[in-house]
Amino acid sequence: MDLILEARNLGKRFQGLVALKHVSFGLVRGEILGLVGPNGAGKTTLINLVSGTLTPTNGDIIFEGKVLQQPTFRRARLGIARTFQITKPFSGLTVLENVAVAALFGSEGGKRNLRQAKQAAQQWLEFVGLDQRLSMRADSLGGPDRKRLELAKALAMKPKLLLLDEVMAGLNQVEIDAVITVIKKMRDQGISILIVEHVMKAIRALCDRLLVLHHGQTIALGDPSQVLNDPAVVEAYLGRKHA
Amino acid sequence: MKLLIRWSVLAAALALLIVLPWVAPATLVQFGISTLMLATLAQSWSIIGGYTGYASFGGSVFYGLGSYGTAIAMIEYHLPFGVGLILGALVAVIFAVLVGLPVLRLRGHYFAIATLALAQVVPAIVSNLEIAGRNIGLILPLLKNDALFYEAALGLLVATTISIWYISRSRFGFGLMAIRENEDAAAAMGINTTLYKTLAFAIAGFFSAMSGGIHAYWITFIEPGGEFDIGLNVKMIIMAVFGGPGSVLGPIAGAFLLSGISEILSFKISNVASLFFGFVIVIAVVLMPHGLADLWHRYKKLGLRYFSENIRENRV
Repeated sequence: MDLILEARNLGKRFQGLVALKHVSFGLVRGEILGLVGPNGAGKTTLINLVSGTLTPTNGDIIFEGKVLQQPTFRRARLGIARTFQITKPFSGLTVLENVAVAALFGSEGGKRNLRQAKQAAQQWLEFVGLDQRLSMRADSLGGPDRKRLELAKALAMKPKLLLLDEVMAGLNQVEIDAVITVIKKMRDQGISILIVEHVMKAIRALCDRLLVLHHGQTIALGDPSQVLNDPAVVEAYLGRKHA
Repeated sequence: MKLLIRWSVLAAALALLIVLPWVAPATLVQFGISTLMLATLAQSWSIIGGYTGYASFGGSVFYGLGSYGTAIAMIEYHLPFGVGLILGALVAVIFAVLVGLPVLRLRGHYFAIATLALAQVVPAIVSNLEIAGRNIGLILPLLKNDALFYEAALGLLVATTISIWYISRSRFGFGLMAIRENEDAAAAMGINTTLYKTLAFAIAGFFSAMSGGIHAYWITFIEPGGEFDIGLNVKMIIMAVFGGPGSVLGPIAGAFLLSGISEILSFKISNVASLFFGFVIVIAVVLMPHGLADLWHRYKKLGLRYFSENIRENRV
């Protein structure tokens, strides 16, 4: 199997708090792997470890056969892009400029001049349905549009691996459907995706496999329909009484 | 067409500035030299404070290092002024890189405080160095040619502004702006934030130091209190912010206007001039907190409502 990303016995401790413990999994190239679990399970910590925002206490992360140890910006250049759960737009810049920055840097950094980057940015903004707001300041966007902007920025980086951290939180049904369509199109372009999500509809529609974390440990890994019916998973989400 | 008008206005303004020393009285030329230098300092500050978002209070250090570097090169090593100027600027650049690497890890207030500390410490060190004349100071060779100094200061301001114009439309400049708006997101985008911040700090240091070097030769006698004047930081920041930090021409407009107002006030009502100057600043902050550049762009669209919106935004 061609693994683009692999975690081996990954652990992260914040002083006394164990956020992740003995987590191992592989992400097959071209796959969408869902990362689910209750609040505080360690999902965002795992994303931060892969993107380089945090360094693991123990264990290794392997990307395309090599152990990841470099700082965040170098990982971005290798082709790892992420979105932030709490969106981080470049507030004072326009929507177009926000995405142009991603196109100027990212995995193809330096290949485009400013004009080409803006053209590429415009295409990605059309792709996520934000092309009506090109010259608006990013901080004047509403919540759903900010999520779209995060997606467009991640895409403009031309990633091989995309880490999506709750891009659907706070969206309504119509918007969720639109984002699901966008993510499917991304997969069709050959991007491998690790997605943290609470919206069950999206998980069912998108994920090839699911990794369930609870208190920082893996409690299930496998086919979505099986995993979601696993008593241990149901218990973690709903508590013992409902299991 | 609009672009053509804009460029011709700029060219005319520049031509006017160039011929000024041959038509204006000596006092105005001297006022012009200090204003041009302050404009260069405001522009330099705008690179690190305006584009990169790191509010530095260390500009006076670069200015002083450039000043002393030039003076020592000319006095001790009998080098020509031009060479001294470059050497002084190099000292400032090396200093910016060495100090920038640790200090630029700090964000927000902490960065400001650390650079303010530098602005206090460096002159204390310099005033104990034998080669820098301790706290007595240094005397440079006398050259009485204000027109020459004026043109040098103008040339430096033009060079600084062209650099900023180039940066503002480059990949580097967009990297800096991304760092200003959100450093974590910038790193996640593939921007080498440490390298970019240090470069911005060094470029700001380079131009500030050149300005200091010209000042040293012009003023002939330098001492630590004058060349490392902490008040300079306040001046350059107020001018840059008043004009519009992170815009190409804003800080120049801020420097010219505020220098002018300050000069007229101290001429008309000498003893309470600084009080009125403070008043002007407060009014400006309340009515146009985003600077002249923003006023220029948005007043046309909003008219007087521009001011009322800013007042509301300020919650005065």
